[in-house]
Amino acid sequence: MNERDRKGHSAEHGPDAIVLKDVSFGYDPENPILHGLSLRIPQGQWVSLVGESGSGKSTLVKLLNALLPKSAGEITVCGEKLSEESILSIRRTIGMVFQNPDNQFVGETVEEDILFGLEGLCLSREEMDRRLRLYAGKLGISGLLAKHPGELSGGQKQRVAIVSILAMEPGVVIFDEASSMLDEESRNGLLDILRDMHAEGYTILMITHDADEILASQRVLALCGGGLAGDMTPAELFRSPGLMEECRLHAPYAWELSRKLEALGLAIGVPASEKELVETLWPFNCSK
Amino acid sequence: MAIQLQQVSYTYSERSLWRQTALHGIDFELPQGTMVGIAGATGSGKSTLLQLLNGILRPTQGTVSVLDITLRAGEKAPKLLPLRRRVGLVFQFPEQQMFAETVEKDLCFGPLNFGMSPDEARERACRAMLDMGLDLALLERNPFRLSGGQMRKAAIASVLAADPEIVVLDEPTASLDPVSRKELIGLLTRLCRERGRTVIIVTHRMDELLPYADRWVILDQGRSVFQGSVRELAADPSLLTRCGLAVPDSLRYWRAVADRLGLEDEEPRLTPEGLAELIVSRESGSSGRVGEKGTGHE
Amino acid sequence: MCRGKAVVPAGLAKRGPAMNDRLLLGRSIETGSWVHKLDPRSKLIGMLLYVAAILLSRSWPAMALLAVFSVVVAVSTRIPLQYYLKAAKPLRYLMLFIFIVQLLTVKEGAALLTIGSFSLHEAGLRLGAFAVIRTFLLVAFTALLTFTTTPARLNQGLEGILSPLRFIGFSPGRFTLMVSLALRFIPTILDEVQIVLKAQASRGADLSELPFKEKGRMLVTLLVPVIAGAFRRAQDLVYSMEARGFRMDAPRSRYHRLRWGWADTFFIAMFIMLGIAAAIL
Repeated sequence: MNERDRKGHSAEHGPDAIVLKDVSFGYDPENPILHGLSLRIPQGQWVSLVGESGSGKSTLVKLLNALLPKSAGEITVCGEKLSEESILSIRRTIGMVFQNPDNQFVGETVEEDILFGLEGLCLSREEMDRRLRLYAGKLGISGLLAKHPGELSGGQKQRVAIVSILAMEPGVVIFDEASSMLDEESRNGLLDILRDMHAEGYTILMITHDADEILASQRVLALCGGGLAGDMTPAELFRSPGLMEECRLHAPYAWELSRKLEALGLAIGVPASEKELVETLWPFNCSK
Repeated sequence: MAIQLQQVSYTYSERSLWRQTALHGIDFELPQGTMVGIAGATGSGKSTLLQLLNGILRPTQGTVSVLDITLRAGEKAPKLLPLRRRVGLVFQFPEQQMFAETVEKDLCFGPLNFGMSPDEARERACRAMLDMGLDLALLERNPFRLSGGQMRKAAIASVLAADPEIVVLDEPTASLDPVSRKELIGLLTRLCRERGRTVIIVTHRMDELLPYADRWVILDQGRSVFQGSVRELAADPSLLTRCGLAVPDSLRYWRAVADRLGLEDEEPRLTPEGLAELIVSRESGSSGRVGEKGTGHE
Repeated sequence: MCRGKAVVPAGLAKRGPAMNDRLLLGRSIETGSWVHKLDPRSKLIGMLLYVAAILLSRSWPAMALLAVFSVVVAVSTRIPLQYYLKAAKPLRYLMLFIFIVQLLTVKEGAALLTIGSFSLHEAGLRLGAFAVIRTFLLVAFTALLTFTTTPARLNQGLEGILSPLRFIGFSPGRFTLMVSLALRFIPTILDEVQIVLKAQASRGADLSELPFKEKGRMLVTLLVPVIAGAFRRAQDLVYSMEARGFRMDAPRSRYHRLRWGWADTFFIAMFIMLGIAAAIL
């Protein structure tokens, strides 16, 4: 808890990674998908983007690197204003990992997939080699480089997708429900990767429904009906049942338990683990 | 017994260089009208197991008995249509298998294939919609225009429309939001409790199914390593870790509380509500004692 | 990457079970032989020359030369010969058909067998045998190309060979990208077909149990989901490529560069000599 708060404060300063000013998007001006959205995300911050399906989360992140064209407003990424000329450079600053690990696998093998982005950057062979080895090693997929996508599990494919992005050395990485098709173990693995990335200073914007992922982040942006419905810390979100309901979220188990206990007149706060819970309730020396 | 597997093995491409055994000597019995969870890490054989239950795959060894139909390895299979009507199999992302221009047509597809009259098919379709908590007005809609959650439920309804006695689902909640997931598990539980169906769910999110499942089957690398009640599973959650599965929070918290209070014989409390009530009842007991001391001092 | 031991393609052993046999064609098998290390362009040209040699051979000695040459080169790839045989297997009925047609229609040479107005001739038998041997050699031997070259390398070779066409406004990069994405997604989409087939069978529409007339009607239940799925994948793929800064015809560097060596010249020369010999014999 302490650690989370500390990070939250330190991230207040420093230059902005993403700035949105009055950004709108929609095919029909009467009925926009996003309207007049303004927000700032400082560099190095780890942000969860939540909201029910159709609230515009996915649209928002696709506007950031011009996968979709904004209809109004101004987007600035790491000091560079998004325009027709800057699209390519901004796409290199922002990496995106998508939901379905299978459909973002461009190459015939893991190695080719990672090289796909690097060749586009016109890097030398030596530099490609260096990045290939560095990032594949970091995420533990060095042994998979010659494999075909069909031989990999969903979790492994998602790792490949992340390595393909990190190897391009972006400053900002966006995860668009990247864990929702993974099994429990792979989801935990992804969370570890996110923690490491955060420690290394990446700006992370993550669309998610997963309570543990939200809890691990520093800040929550809640979208609702194309506008910003909340901008808060994860702890604040998990203490607002109304907003959670609106965004179709559940709190982590420990938070739910603590809320139920409080409702029954036993306010003990949120336990960090099951051990802490029993120690708080029934300390050993007391029960003896 | 609704389902009985005896020494069932399944090997893919048995006669080729790349034969690969997905299941080894599985034995189990599932009684009628129960809610069963099947869990296992990726590659543990879960999906293969499901496909044996309605004859999509036939055992390469052993015997699969479902209701009164028996599939024995090496024997010529009986006509599978009756089996498939009585065992509804919902694949992963079932909304990706919808094809008709209206929800109603998609829902009637199964019943009509199984030889029901159009009127009967429509009636069954309506009931299936209600079972999945969907508004009948959606029947006229194009399935591709529904929201993600609605589409998932409609796709499940299209299997329920054939009125199967056993419903088997592969990761029915995958990639839905938490509220929709809970809703869907609730609907499936109701199907089991109120309509007497046998519901078998393969899941990698044990959390959401734990409070509702009567029985669990845990697979590890094609072998069944656990079969039994939730209480038995809760007695030793470390089994899950050994199979490469994460121990759900609800199980960890229950284990910790049960260990501290010595609740070996109690039914596990696996929802936050349930556990909170138990804690408060015990806590008020102990604070009562503190109170007594206080009065004694006075 | 070039480990010598792999006799069974390492990938296939752990691949999804349904995909094994189907993918034997179009999968490279890494053994690290000299043919594997050749420039894909020389292999492509070599195969074209081989086709020419086959068309030029019209005698038994020429056939024998072709067969010996093919076996020697195939053995030098260190891939078991049975793989080459398997590659030709799907065409066995076609070969039988060609043989019978030749046998029945060619009325030259000595009659071998006469039943009333019906007769079989020596030339028919010979031409039929030639046709079968040619088809067999062609299919079995050209499998060498896909066995020894990964699709990506093959594509790169193709792009290299087609690059002169740039001057007439043809974009080889665009063409080969299309081919490589198709190669990448065909297995995935075939797997998806399997799932939809199984799902519809579970809903009482089992293609193998239905009468023929009904099968046509069922096609739509298969096609709609599969096409919808393909579009969904295509959309995701475009996002994934664009998000990685991809732009058609923008400059790119290459990790694997094409490098023409002495072995490549030798490889081509071998095929030219084969063609000349086949034409003379």
